[in-house]
Amino acid sequence: MSYKIPMGPYHPGLEEPYKLDMICEGETVQDAELHIGFNFRGIEHLAETRNYYQVIALMERVCGICSFIHTLTLCQAMEKLAGLEPPPRAQYIRVVMAELERLHSHVLWAGIAAKLMGFKTMFMTCFALREKVMDVLQAISGNRVNYSMNRIGGVNRDVEDPLALIPLLDDLEREMMRTVIPIFTTSSTARSRCAGIGVLTHEKAISCAVVGPTARASGINQDLRRDAPYAAYAEMKFEVPVEQAGDVRARLFVRALEIMESCRILRQALTAMPPGEISVGGDKFAFVTGTATSRVEAPRGEVMYSVSWKEGSRNPARVHVRTPTYANMPAVRWMVRGARLADTPLIQASIDPCYSCTDR
Amino acid sequence: MTALENLRKKLGTIEPWVESRGTHWLNPGSLSVRQVATVMNEVHARFITITAYQLPGSEGFRLEYHWDLDGRLLGFPFVIAGNSTESIFDLCEAADWIEREVHEEYSIDFTGRAYEPLLLRAGDKSGVNLREEPAAKPSAVAPGQKEVAK
Repeated sequence: MSYKIPMGPYHPGLEEPYKLDMICEGETVQDAELHIGFNFRGIEHLAETRNYYQVIALMERVCGICSFIHTLTLCQAMEKLAGLEPPPRAQYIRVVMAELERLHSHVLWAGIAAKLMGFKTMFMTCFALREKVMDVLQAISGNRVNYSMNRIGGVNRDVEDPLALIPLLDDLEREMMRTVIPIFTTSSTARSRCAGIGVLTHEKAISCAVVGPTARASGINQDLRRDAPYAAYAEMKFEVPVEQAGDVRARLFVRALEIMESCRILRQALTAMPPGEISVGGDKFAFVTGTATSRVEAPRGEVMYSVSWKEGSRNPARVHVRTPTYANMPAVRWMVRGARLADTPLIQASIDPCYSCTDR
Repeated sequence: MTALENLRKKLGTIEPWVESRGTHWLNPGSLSVRQVATVMNEVHARFITITAYQLPGSEGFRLEYHWDLDGRLLGFPFVIAGNSTESIFDLCEAADWIEREVHEEYSIDFTGRAYEPLLLRAGDKSGVNLREEPAAKPSAVAPGQKEVAK
């Protein structure tokens, strides 16, 4: 006899407002239905009522983890409509902030995954590491969550002494190499909880059009930083980690390797940061009538903004946001099919879901 | 022949690609969205999203379908005069949530698919968020009388 187990919208495993109704046969999940929208905020509608300064502050609040990415994507689209090209130093600072945010997001995810595995020590270790990344973000921007770094035509704050951040990076890299990556890759607890669990096949990953580490863990070799470079990514050398297994362990491996690649990118951006201005265009902007789209590789995958403007207006006519969790979440239905009920919180967490983004 | 020209040939259109602000646009002309989706599957393009715009007055809506082809952002704008268009959900599984969202926000029907349960809000009313309606008639509620939410 099959029965339905509702998980959420307030689930102790993942404190995020969404619901997964699972149809089970004994301990095995046969199918699942997803429900989102519990905290839908109508931000796209609100954006139409904000001027070109206010809309940046508004979009920074789409997500609490990748707030920089959202303003970067929005500002890139608005720069296209205003005909502005940010100066090279601003492009480098954008890379530094984006990679620090990726580090912060991936380490946070590793901590939560460890907690869901029942590995509390690793949870604490990851959160201690995350604090170090947040300290760097605070040192640069003055803020720990909403950084207010992006503006139309560049960035708001300079990185006064980029080379001073290198020792912090060394420390982080050392800790990752010494503790986090070896434990996640060799510990029997991590292996037994992750290997072969929540598989998303390559074919299904293509069919669902998943993005980011979720896609790369299922053998899809895509990354906008390499395939459609923005900011100063065209000048950075890095690898795109790809795994074939499609299980929770593969998603864990991809993120762990991406942490190392982020450190590599950060080292290049900080040492080669060119001198000069950090913004262009002054304080008043004129936008042409039309639509501009911008895409950025966020920690969870591709973020896309479509911004439409009418010449002479201070407010956008339309802002459409496509977030990575919005693309990845429907695939969870396929990941949990055939899984044990006890594994489903970790499987859901393995895509690093963000319901703040999804319920934008 | 470049990938884009090859794609244009597969689509069987004489319209040229127009590159604007980083997006490669193709006017679909007489092509239906389902024909475009079928060819996108053949060339292994990745579906990204649908962006809906309400056109002024009663001109209808513009739906911009976006795909990624090896890092290139492709855009296909479709203007619909009424309130309905064909769903591509059966051809492109990834379009499920965004079709449901556009349906809920603009009350556009994607024919050939079901909508229940709603994605973003409870209830059965659609077109409540982003769709602009003509100016509402004066309220029948007498001054001073509190209007009761329906």
